[in-house]
Amino acid sequence: MIHLASVLLGDDEEAEDVVQDIFLRVADSDIAPKNDSYLLTAVRNACLNRIRQMQLHDKVKGLMPIEDEADLQPIDKRLERLEDIGAYVDEQLEEPHRSIFHLHFDEDLTVSEIARRLGLNPNTAYKYLMQSIQQIRHHFEKH
Amino acid sequence: MTTTMETTNENIRQLLEMLDNPDAYTEQQIQDIVNRDEDTRETYRLMVEAKRSSRHRQNQKPVDVDAAWQRFNQKLQHKQYGFGWMKIAASFIGVLLVSGIAFAAIHIVRQHQKQETPQTEITENVTTSVTTLPADTLTKDTVTVQPIIYDNIPLEKMLPEIAAHYDVKVIFTNDEARQFRFRFVWNPQQGINQVISDLNQFERLTVTRKDSQIIVE
Repeated sequence: MIHLASVLLGDDEEAEDVVQDIFLRVADSDIAPKNDSYLLTAVRNACLNRIRQMQLHDKVKGLMPIEDEADLQPIDKRLERLEDIGAYVDEQLEEPHRSIFHLHFDEDLTVSEIARRLGLNPNTAYKYLMQSIQQIRHHFEKH
Repeated sequence: MTTTMETTNENIRQLLEMLDNPDAYTEQQIQDIVNRDEDTRETYRLMVEAKRSSRHRQNQKPVDVDAAWQRFNQKLQHKQYGFGWMKIAASFIGVLLVSGIAFAAIHIVRQHQKQETPQTEITENVTTSVTTLPADTLTKDTVTVQPIIYDNIPLEKMLPEIAAHYDVKVIFTNDEARQFRFRFVWNPQQGINQVISDLNQFERLTVTRKDSQIIVE
């Protein structure tokens, strides 16, 4: 539950807070949760609510959805897709695209910082990152 | 075809530039950039997923269950403490409501008595009625309906005073309870059983009555 909240919110403390709130609600309620997926759905909904309440600037800084997510897909399917994206990046992107992608999404570096680190022209770094994103997008649109 | 491709790339490039420094843009500009066309919107959605995928991969470390449990416990206790005070507040409101009703009843009865007095008598004896009737009675009545507030007074001081009113004795079987301090509103017009019930709203306190004794456990 904490992992799912952390994936959605990008903040470990806030993730723990969301999960604790859910358990407090469960403790207050007379009805015991039916199963794990009930709890996971509660986590997802609570996270989406928090994201909805965030300021627009904070949303884009954390790469959060800026429009309401009507996420009806089962949570395990969503997590599977995230794993597929990760696997595709590692297996199908070539260098320096893969490194640029990891530096941007894993280490939160800006494109100028990536360009400096890899000794590239910022325009080239932008181009590679753009190509990677387009490649992944087109691949997952087909699948 | 090439022009469309160039425009798309330019839009996505603007999106990436904005994401590198969102503070330099107004909310309207951000909305305009993300929602410029379906391609840009889809690109942003994919980037949201890519970020989640990165967190999913990086955040596989096990959760420290003991530490998380401790923090949860603190939160739970804090919540229960808050809830306890809500119960106490509710009992105060109950006490005040009863006092209010009693006061209103006395007021109505008095009004009724006044109305029953013949008109002529009032006009003739204005000075007498003012000096003799209300002063004493009013003060006395008000004192009896006014609840007494014990604020932060040790239980061993407060309870014997209340018990004396009902002609019962207090026995502490739990010495710790002697020093309990809280805010309690006692309405002397209430029966002893009601007072004991109000005292039992406090979580740490168990008060029972046996014959002419109040026992604090």
